[in-house]
Amino acid sequence: MRHVLIIALFAALSGLAHAADPEFALTIRDHRFEPSELRVPANKKVKIVIENQDATAEEFDSHALNREKVIPPKAKAPLFIGPLKPGRYPFVGEFNEKTAKGVIIAE
Amino acid sequence: MELITIRVSLVAALAIPTVAAAAGPSDYVFLPGVTYGEREIDFKMGSWKHPTDGNLSAASIGFGYGVTQRWFTEIYRKYEHAGGEGTRFDAWEWENKFQLTEPGQYPVDVGFIVEVERPQDHSEGYETVLGPLFQTEFGKVQLNANLLFARRFRASTEQHTELGYQWQAKYRLMPEFEVGAQAFGEVGNVSHWDPSNQQSHRIGPAVFGKVALGGRQAVRYNAAWLVGATDNSPHHTFRAQVEYEF
Repeated sequence: MRHVLIIALFAALSGLAHAADPEFALTIRDHRFEPSELRVPANKKVKIVIENQDATAEEFDSHALNREKVIPPKAKAPLFIGPLKPGRYPFVGEFNEKTAKGVIIAE
Repeated sequence: MELITIRVSLVAALAIPTVAAAAGPSDYVFLPGVTYGEREIDFKMGSWKHPTDGNLSAASIGFGYGVTQRWFTEIYRKYEHAGGEGTRFDAWEWENKFQLTEPGQYPVDVGFIVEVERPQDHSEGYETVLGPLFQTEFGKVQLNANLLFARRFRASTEQHTELGYQWQAKYRLMPEFEVGAQAFGEVGNVSHWDPSNQQSHRIGPAVFGKVALGGRQAVRYNAAWLVGATDNSPHHTFRAQVEYEF
């Protein structure tokens, strides 16, 4: 019985360890973020995969999210945020701030 | 968990007795994150009044670069000004920081610091500082805590590995101005701590911020006013760091 409980415990913990965070895609193209508004669930950790399709690097920068991440050209990079309270969290592409801007809406 | 393997030789090196390493007034709190491709000119300074060593000011100027997504390296020159003496060149220092986890992926972000210092006074040997760096956040509050193991090699006197710590708490009010507190401490020999009244502990309020200048340029700063918490702690320390990122 003890062995069954231990196996069940490990199975449960393994499930927790491998529970995937909700995943979203964000694309950088022509120095713009697509989509410029990204809706994510509130109160949950979220994984955003940022794909930079431009020929130059871009830096995802958000004080609201407390994240700075440089994405090399023609590359992808993961970004983990949250859990976020419901609200709007603006971000910019620091290398092209005039055009690269967006907001994450947690709801 | 994706981790960078730290060379076993670095850990093994901690077992060799060496000259005790000293903290300084321009010490700053390490953060575990790395920004790939970031270049910075880093200026640090500090000044304290020590109960036995008197007044001491220190400053450093360095250049740093985010070599990869997980590795930041910086080289800087350090200067000292002891009470009654002129400013003198103190040491070269090479700092390497490794981001071990993706920010926010786990409850705590983890990094690792490796520093090597070569003092102008060669009798002091080489000083190495190693240690894990931790960061977590709760809403707008960010917490950092680091353990530092310091020791000297090839010094004229036999010493030991010393243990120190740093922590920092800040409320991210706005990009240009954040408020919080910092603390630094040294407890002595890692395997045989000094009596508490001989340890050094400093704590006090701090401010932080980043001013974007456009393009890839920004100025980042943090400063703290620390008071000593033990008889062997500097009475007052003012420390500051300004980084120009480009």
